Amino acid sequence: MKIVVAFKWAANPQEATVAADGTVDVGRATLGISEYDPQAFDVGRRLADATGAELVGLSVGGPAATSSMARKAALSRGLDSLVTVTDPSLDDAAATRTGAVLAAAVAQIGDVDLVLTGDASVDLGVQLVPSVMAGLLGWPAVSQVTALSGTPGDLRIERNQEGGTQVLLASGPVVVSIAADAVEPRIPGMKDILGAGRKQTTELDYAALSVEPLVAYAVVGRARPELKARQGKVIDGADPAAAAAEVVAALRATHVL
Amino acid sequence: MTEIWILVAANPAIDNLVSRGRELGGQLVAVVAGDRSCAEAIAASGVDRVVWLGEPGATPVEARAAAVADLVAEAAPRVVLAASHPAERVLAGALAGRLGAPALTMVSSVRLEADAVIVTHATFGGVAEETVRVEGPVVIVDECGSVGTGLPVPIEEVTATAPPTLTVVETRMSSTTRVDLGKARRVVAVGRGLARREDLALVEELARALDAEVACSRPLAEGLGWLSRDRYIGVTGQHVHPDLYVAVGISGQLQHVVGCRDAGTVVVVNCDAKAPYFGECDYGIVGDLAQVVPALTAALA
Ligand SMILES: Cc1cc2nc3c(=O)[nH]c(=O)nc-3n(C[C@H](O)[C@H](O)[C@H](O)COP(=O)(O)OP(=O)(O)OC[C@H]3O[C@@H](n4cnc5c(N)ncnc54)[C@H](O)[C@@H]3O)c2cc1C
Repeated sequence: MKIVVAFKWAANPQEATVAADGTVDVGRATLGISEYDPQAFDVGRRLADATGAELVGLSVGGPAATSSMARKAALSRGLDSLVTVTDPSLDDAAATRTGAVLAAAVAQIGDVDLVLTGDASVDLGVQLVPSVMAGLLGWPAVSQVTALSGTPGDLRIERNQEGGTQVLLASGPVVVSIAADAVEPRIPGMKDILGAGRKQTTELDYAALSVEPLVAYAVVGRARPELKARQGKVIDGADPAAAAAEVVAALRATHVL
Repeated sequence: MTEIWILVAANPAIDNLVSRGRELGGQLVAVVAGDRSCAEAIAASGVDRVVWLGEPGATPVEARAAAVADLVAEAAPRVVLAASHPAERVLAGALAGRLGAPALTMVSSVRLEADAVIVTHATFGGVAEETVRVEGPVVIVDECGSVGTGLPVPIEEVTATAPPTLTVVETRMSSTTRVDLGKARRVVAVGRGLARREDLALVEELARALDAEVACSRPLAEGLGWLSRDRYIGVTGQHVHPDLYVAVGISGQLQHVVGCRDAGTVVVVNCDAKAPYFGECDYGIVGDLAQVVPALTAALA
């Protein structure tokens, strides 16, 4: 019985530079485990401990996703082992491609009853990868999950949904996205980091996964989004009443109010 | 005739999707995974056909994703639209996987050509924009809008064999009112600069004086839970286009700001003169929100 944590080795777009022609350069951005993915590691570890399952990390991406830094970062977060699928063409893969490769890798890993993911990747943030993967595995997907209990195959899932919460029961395999506020992620300690070096990483061959061909599409244009020109009038609020009066007067003068 | 399909899990507020579909031309077909009341609302919201999977019973609607994907794959439309809600995303992703089709979000324009669909959308969290040419089906996840109106069309019921592996055992509702910030003309948003929950009253008073909706950054809704989740603005939250956006105690991280970049006028209140949001505002006040916010409310009286 295995629980897979699918995570992304990604850059924060805040640190990207975008050229006038719209090309994105993340060369100088720091890569890391995508901000909301550690929650999935922690929820997975707890469930694996409670059920005796093996916790396997899975990451799909460009070559950096299997760098020693990336491996160590992942393996120090409670995994039993790590599986990576990397290829230069997967560096900036879009949701459908990433989801399809993840699904193929989960099938290859075998004996998996549960895949956990974070809420959204910090770089693309489209929140579609888990459901693409689930769709291709033929499993249901549940998002915004705050707690898991029971065992994979007989799993109690608590999740947020519009206007409230819901409890679901899964009697088969399922893809679960963990809500960003499900747990406060634990920061790996020295022992975790040292232990990471002794854990195994398996690199799956991307070509051998033979992911179905996808609908062809071409990027025919790129742009840096035109930001609205802003006034940029920043005033000191040491005298709050005077500052407030000034801003309200400006809003009235420009007919915003 | 070209068909445009709209995927509906349980939220009938799809008027933006209907207008997007109308601009493209062709027949608009909605497939509804939710209950009959949802299907009825959709049938009266300006679409041409409604295909309904029957009562979901104890099956969570998004667990019907495979059945929805089967139906849509058979119809083979060129464009499929879905609202950017969690359950709708599950339907959209599963369909994109089934079709091997690109799934695009933060879309600014969609055009049909004889042999391709041309889509312009923001990417990489909104820092860049790209235009793609797709020679096949494309799945678009877009802003939903409100519940639309139109002449009711008949509901075509199909039988969906839902996977029996997922069941709802309990639903707890904390609020039934759904806010639609997408149409708000004025918004006052508050972030982690708010020290105490009680201070929300200051922000609500300012919103009242401005006749504005109250919104927030993600940590206030998720984690702190001081406001409901449908009130947080940003890349994974709501996208708003008000005439006036007042951001109080929000640092201005990219993931927040992309949700309100279209705002007409932006006012920022922050005690840190180096907060990134000051770089994207029309008017900024450097100061403690506990003093500045009541002062703004007073200045409006
Ligand atoms: C994948 C992903 C998706 C995300 N999606 C979203 C999203 O959709 N929406 C979103 O909002 N965030 C999102 N985030 C989180 C985002 O990156 C930021 O962490 C978040 O927006 C910060 O919220 P904040 O500005 O309220 O808090 P902070 O960044 O902590 O800023 C608080 C600000 O308040 C100021 N302040 C403190 N005290 C006072 C005072 N007394 N008076 C005035 N000012 C004060 C501080 O100077 C600071 O600038 C996402 C993150 C990730 C990784």
